Amino acid sequence: MTNQPTSLDRVFHALSDPTRRAIVSRLSRGPASVSELAKPFAMAMPTLLQHLKVLEESRVIRSEKVGRVRTCEIEPGALGRAETWIARQRAVWEGRLDRMEAYVAGLQSEATQGKEKKHGKR
Amino acid sequence: MARDDIPTDERLDLRLERTIDAPRALIWKAWTEPEHVKRWWAPAPWTTVDCRIDLRPGGIFRTVMRSPEGQDFPHETCLIELVENERIVFTSALAPGYRPAAEHLGDDCTGIPFTAIVTFTERAGKTHYSAVVLHKDEAGRRRHEELGFHEGWGTCADQLIELVRRLRR
Repeated sequence: MTNQPTSLDRVFHALSDPTRRAIVSRLSRGPASVSELAKPFAMAMPTLLQHLKVLEESRVIRSEKVGRVRTCEIEPGALGRAETWIARQRAVWEGRLDRMEAYVAGLQSEATQGKEKKHGKR
Repeated sequence: MARDDIPTDERLDLRLERTIDAPRALIWKAWTEPEHVKRWWAPAPWTTVDCRIDLRPGGIFRTVMRSPEGQDFPHETCLIELVENERIVFTSALAPGYRPAAEHLGDDCTGIPFTAIVTFTERAGKTHYSAVVLHKDEAGRRRHEELGFHEGWGTCADQLIELVRRLRR
């Protein structure tokens, strides 16, 4: 076991934010400059740049500066091959665990109500 | 009896741990009784339209998931080990009755050979849930990719984003 987050953890972290997901969705249709990416978001440029930095550090995207224009694009690889494969397996099992947990919570609160136990937490 | 000694490979295998605020007998029930399994096995808008469980080693663990378009995806696995309220081990590499399973050719998630070891441990009235899912080798994975897993970066990214969004909910 390693304490270093795996690259998969970093990818998941990068995608855990709605703004970053929106950026990735936009870039999955093709490269875009930072100012183009900024357009749909009502946020200060430094905040946007911070999001881009997280995406770039997790290698979900990459960017290149030519003159005064920085262009971002999806990093082929981060969302592909092994990580997509294993991420997809993980998503299947974690999703299943989420649903099972919620379902059991429902069963338990039914049982609790039925037996009038004191502890009725979901 | 935690099975932490099972060798895993992080490129291929998954390890999930979670403490669930419910007694493990209830979790065991949710995992082993078809009417319960049907309620949580498939991600909406998919549904689990059938589930059959013969709760003994070599017994069947079968689910049929129905896509939103109405297509059914049956999936049969073989139960290998069962310790009531404690552990359930099953694999898609074997058909029920321990017969080696046919090659999996599906390009959906359910077509991937795996062995799942799900363990429930009681901890102060709560249940510690641990799942280890073992996959085959790199060759199996590559073949799976060749079968058309990739439909372009856009689709991959969108799928992954959708999955992550669902996980965070």
